[in-house]
Amino acid sequence: MSSVRSSRQRRIRQYGIGYAFIAAPVLAGVIFLLIPMVTTLVWSFTRFNGLQPPQFVGLDNYARLFSHDRIFIKALWNTTRFTILGMLIGPTLGLLTALMLNQKVKFQTFYRTAYFLPVMTSLVVVATIWRMLYNKHGLLNLALGVLGIEPIRWLSDPHWALFSIVIASVWQGFGFETVIFLAALQGIPQTLYEAAALDGANAWQRFRHVTLPALRPVLLFIYIIGIIGSFQVFDQVFVMTSGGPANSTITLVYYLYSKFMDLRLGYASAIAYVLFGILMIFSYLQWRFFTEKD
Amino acid sequence: MSFKRLFIITALLLGLSLILGACSSGAAPTSAPAEPAQEQAQPTTAPAQPAAEQVTITVWDYYGESSPIVPIVEAFEAANPNIKVQVEALDWDSTLEKLNVVMTGGTPPDVVTLDMTWLPTFAPLGAFTDLNQFAQGKLNGVPLDKAYSPGALKAMSYNDQMLAMLYDFDVYALYYRADIFEEMGLDVPTTWDELMAVGKKLGEAGKGQYAVMPDTFHAAQFIYENGGSILNEDNTAAAFNQPEGVEAVSFYANLPQEGAGYVWSFEEGWEITPGLKDGRIAMFSDGPYYMGILKDAAPEMEGQWKVAVHPYSKQPGSYLGGTGLVIPAKAEHPDAAWKFIEFAMTKENQIGVFENAGAAPALLEALQSDEVNAPDPYFGNQRTLEVFLKAMDTARPFPYVRAWNQIDEIFTSTMEEILFGGADVKEALDAAAEAVNDALSSQ
Repeated sequence: MSSVRSSRQRRIRQYGIGYAFIAAPVLAGVIFLLIPMVTTLVWSFTRFNGLQPPQFVGLDNYARLFSHDRIFIKALWNTTRFTILGMLIGPTLGLLTALMLNQKVKFQTFYRTAYFLPVMTSLVVVATIWRMLYNKHGLLNLALGVLGIEPIRWLSDPHWALFSIVIASVWQGFGFETVIFLAALQGIPQTLYEAAALDGANAWQRFRHVTLPALRPVLLFIYIIGIIGSFQVFDQVFVMTSGGPANSTITLVYYLYSKFMDLRLGYASAIAYVLFGILMIFSYLQWRFFTEKD
Repeated sequence: MSFKRLFIITALLLGLSLILGACSSGAAPTSAPAEPAQEQAQPTTAPAQPAAEQVTITVWDYYGESSPIVPIVEAFEAANPNIKVQVEALDWDSTLEKLNVVMTGGTPPDVVTLDMTWLPTFAPLGAFTDLNQFAQGKLNGVPLDKAYSPGALKAMSYNDQMLAMLYDFDVYALYYRADIFEEMGLDVPTTWDELMAVGKKLGEAGKGQYAVMPDTFHAAQFIYENGGSILNEDNTAAAFNQPEGVEAVSFYANLPQEGAGYVWSFEEGWEITPGLKDGRIAMFSDGPYYMGILKDAAPEMEGQWKVAVHPYSKQPGSYLGGTGLVIPAKAEHPDAAWKFIEFAMTKENQIGVFENAGAAPALLEALQSDEVNAPDPYFGNQRTLEVFLKAMDTARPFPYVRAWNQIDEIFTSTMEEILFGGADVKEALDAAAEAVNDALSSQ
């Protein structure tokens, strides 16, 4: 008896402090993540305005989203387009910049910091500055004018607006990709390049068969983090276009927000869970790839 | 691995910036405290109830720097020693968001300055107290129908309830460049045909055009002026795609095509002020609050602008909005809150709305006072508020239906399709009507 008790006491003494340490984050996680998530899930099956008691409506909200709500479909499509465009341009630009910086250029640290600066700038600030650049009489159109090109209505032409937001977002984000690619590039052993050069590989072959394979885990990381981030795009849309013109830049999170502002909490919750489902798929992919590698 | 470390540092930095960002966006309470000891030492101000319980009411004030609320707090507390007022200074942009949060899950304030265009969302949900239970048809002893114009009363009412006391009002009138009109020998347009003709002449002379904006406020004005409306009589279906509406929107969209109008798009800024200053715009339609903006943004243009009733085809028309003072249904001290509202609605304090915020007071007595109606040198010594008061006679609030926000969004994006995307007016309005009817039926 007494030996059992003493061993339990010892165990409590041994692990108790550990549990005490993790208690705070676990509690915070339960209060700020788990409870809201479950509440939101429940709400997504109701009609709820926050002031009157919710009414259970089953899968109505979800059914309405996909069968009836053209703006939601548009938001889904816009978000997908934003993600694809951003993922085509951003990482490519990041990799090219990293490759250039890796050429033992002078002031490498300076460039690295310079490219990374926008990443540390608040998105709202970046979006505000870009809105000024996109002004009908702004710098961009001024530059086009010098080249003899008609001014573009960057944000008020429904055909251009989403692309304009992509450009601003890529500008803000590609420094992050650059820095990560650069770190990964510098981690590739020089011996591999020397061996390849000895075998007569030219620059392209060295890139294709040495650099790219070595970068694969980093590429995967960049794309998955990027896709998850892109699907949640909000700030730029909020500042630059408010989803307009004619809903051409409305995205999932912005649409969710507009439903919250309209006190349609049940419907907004359903949108949140559709987005959650999409993000879960990508998170699962990330988890699969990463656990396999390590 | 070095990139791992980098990633951690980045994550930390991003996390930190998030936290800092969240902290800085909090509301700054600008309380106006008065020492309780001192107050209790002044029993003469409230001899009837010296032992009454002390309450503190919270007032949300979205006027910012030019608040007409803050200056009256001291006098109110002196007259009501048992009530303390804590004013929370907000800005207009974030007020609705914060209001949504506290209304759905927190302790709402006792008095809120509410943009009347937000009322449709809240009214059908029973979010605000019926002020008639305190007012009993009177405001500071004056019958409500003497205190307010009929249009204002309509805007304040929902079904049989009185949900807001209109504090300042907003109706649209025509702002025009009087100096250019004089120079070119033009008359102020009173009809649409004249508006088109004058706009063309100005445009051809390169003297600026009529500002065309794709929002519900402006498009609705043309629909009203043509005898149409946004929704039908009992607010059950869209009416803007009726012939009057289609004709009105076609005329509006035609202004830029004929060279009489300038389409102002949001990439040039949400406010048209830059276009006024650089001469691209010589006529626009907006509310009395814009007089204050104009004076602040373009003091050098003194004497160049005047206002007139907006030109119309069949009848004058405008939306009617402004700021209402409301008491949330879950407010802790509704009685004290009503006292504060009545105090804010005295003639003297209503004049303060004009003097501090540059907005148009809603109380008729204040509107007709000499202080408010003095000739305004900025507008060539015109008595500007007379024009807006006249416009108020025929103005009406947007329909108070639960789906109003959705309707507004549908209508705005349709106007964008027409003005920016070149969509056919009749087709676009029919499609919008279908979407609006759907929103109305599932509200």
